[in-house]
Amino acid sequence: MAQRDRLVETAPASTVEIETMRLPQAVRAETVQAVQPALRYLARGLLFLASLFLFILAITLMKEGARALGPLVRDHFQIATAANSLGFGWLFAYVVMSGSPVAAAALTFFDAGIIDRLGAFAMITGSRLGASFIVLFLGFIYVLRGRNRSTSLSMGLLSLLVTGTTYLAGLLIGLLLLNSGWLDGFQPGTGAILNSATDLVFDPVAEFFLSLLPRWSLFLVGLGIILTSFNLFDKCLPQMALKESQVGRMSRLVYRPWVMFLLGAAVTLISMSVSVSLSILVPLSQRGFVRRENVIPYIMGANITTFIDTLLAALLLDNPLAFTVVLVEMLSITIVSIFVLALVYRPYHEMMLNAVESIVRRNRNLALFMLTILVVPLILLLL
Amino acid sequence: MRILIATGGDDHTDTALQLGGLLAEMIDAPVTLLTVIGSEREWVQAEAILTRAQTLLPAAVAVKTKIRVGQRARQIVLEVAQLEKAGRQILLVLGERSHRGLSKRLLAPTVERVLQQMPCPVLIARGRVQPPKHLLVCESGREPSLLHRLLHRFKPLLLAADVLTVLHVMSQMAAGPGVPGWELRADAQALMEEQTPEGQLLEADLAQLRQLSAHLEAKVRHGLVVREILAEARSGDYDLIVIGAHQATQWERFLLDDLAQEIVDHADRSVLVV
Repeated sequence: MAQRDRLVETAPASTVEIETMRLPQAVRAETVQAVQPALRYLARGLLFLASLFLFILAITLMKEGARALGPLVRDHFQIATAANSLGFGWLFAYVVMSGSPVAAAALTFFDAGIIDRLGAFAMITGSRLGASFIVLFLGFIYVLRGRNRSTSLSMGLLSLLVTGTTYLAGLLIGLLLLNSGWLDGFQPGTGAILNSATDLVFDPVAEFFLSLLPRWSLFLVGLGIILTSFNLFDKCLPQMALKESQVGRMSRLVYRPWVMFLLGAAVTLISMSVSVSLSILVPLSQRGFVRRENVIPYIMGANITTFIDTLLAALLLDNPLAFTVVLVEMLSITIVSIFVLALVYRPYHEMMLNAVESIVRRNRNLALFMLTILVVPLILLLL
Repeated sequence: MRILIATGGDDHTDTALQLGGLLAEMIDAPVTLLTVIGSEREWVQAEAILTRAQTLLPAAVAVKTKIRVGQRARQIVLEVAQLEKAGRQILLVLGERSHRGLSKRLLAPTVERVLQQMPCPVLIARGRVQPPKHLLVCESGREPSLLHRLLHRFKPLLLAADVLTVLHVMSQMAAGPGVPGWELRADAQALMEEQTPEGQLLEADLAQLRQLSAHLEAKVRHGLVVREILAEARSGDYDLIVIGAHQATQWERFLLDDLAQEIVDHADRSVLVV
């Protein structure tokens, strides 16, 4: 900059020189501007590949480690029935603050023969119930920091209540479908091919870990890696900066329930997490507000496609029955959601919102609710 | 303005006749009485219906009668189009038979079919028949504002009212835990003082209404739009609920929910859809 100023002072004719000196900088700036988005996309692509790599590695390690964990899970946690599995999955999701790793763990337990397929199904259901607590938990922290109860907790409560009601109804349908064996014939042909391809890369890595650590600890290492993988995956998602835009205007409208249902399903198909899908709504709306009318079907749609990573985990395990369990989970939630949307949507909608309002109305109600969602999974585990 | 009242000789269309007649007298508008029949063979009955209908209207109101043959909703819409072609603004007044549950889903009543096409402002007459002195104007915030449309088309109706309540329902909730949202609990006064978008909307409405002699009030309710409008309507002594039409165009028709139809379906008193 100083050099450029001196050139201006010493020779007026050097304007050309100034231009020529500026030009490379300007070009450089333009080039940087042009390259930056490309670099950002490249970085996101690499992050995605890294998260996928870690996900597959985690499943491989959890699968290895789960075999050695059988006695511990069976005897120490006494997971003998579907109710125990439901409670275990629910509490496990509280502990790791995420549902997907627990769902993957349920499949590896099933693959290792620790739990049966009804148990795996119930544990996956429990994992979603536990995961839906996350948004509520975040809201609760805001309440403790002095924020308004209703504003901070409504979305979390709504998410939890919608998930709870649809999944518990789906549990009954799912158990029926699993016992009937109607879906056992639906199997993808790619599982074995995918598995043999990933075995080539990941088995040596698992062998390496086995040479250093006891077998049971591989499950915990895998659990840590899968959590990291999901965190990395969240960073791949584009940051929304659409305030005051057309999308902001669109967020003020009331959409047909089916539209929001499909939107929730589509967004979660990409984000793979209900809590991430819900958090995407914040920047999409002008002031971080969403219409009450739009939220419930969005959550219902999101609750179905959130299983996409669990479906991938089942494929990686190359266990046809594990694949059926996840498929039944998705189908049963879809059946319940379609039933609600088609036949009882308005009363269901009002019931959910009334429940949220009554929970946040008083501290006593909120405390009772929090106590219930902590005690119920414990009771299920101890049954 | 001309008031078009569709009648079939039933009790519910009698309500439409009485309310339409009252309005015609209030705003000094001529009336066209329309009845639609399925075939020419019903012509005599149609004439009888129209003769009886005229007796339910105030004597001072100028009346024309019309009989159309065909599908009811379609013929009503065609009649509106024909009258509008003659350069008159039309207010269509319909009565509604109570339809609930499966029969409503399967049959799609005339009112619903007409509202789907929304050829002009439609008044659905229901409940007590009395001059609309207390109006509940439900402002959605979409442009142009409902009040702007009302003033443009129904100024005489507003001039004749004693009390005008402008209601805006905020159905928003915080999309996430960290969103600050005092507006989600605020009343109309606070929103206007803080100049939030909702407050500005209400303030603009009140400013437009100040030219009228009616007593004005602005209200904000928080909750589901349909539920809150119906709750407000039941909580006050309102004679008429005024709502905006479902203004969906092309793709919006498939994506957006028709809240106007829901309000019409569930309101216990007359509704004007503008």
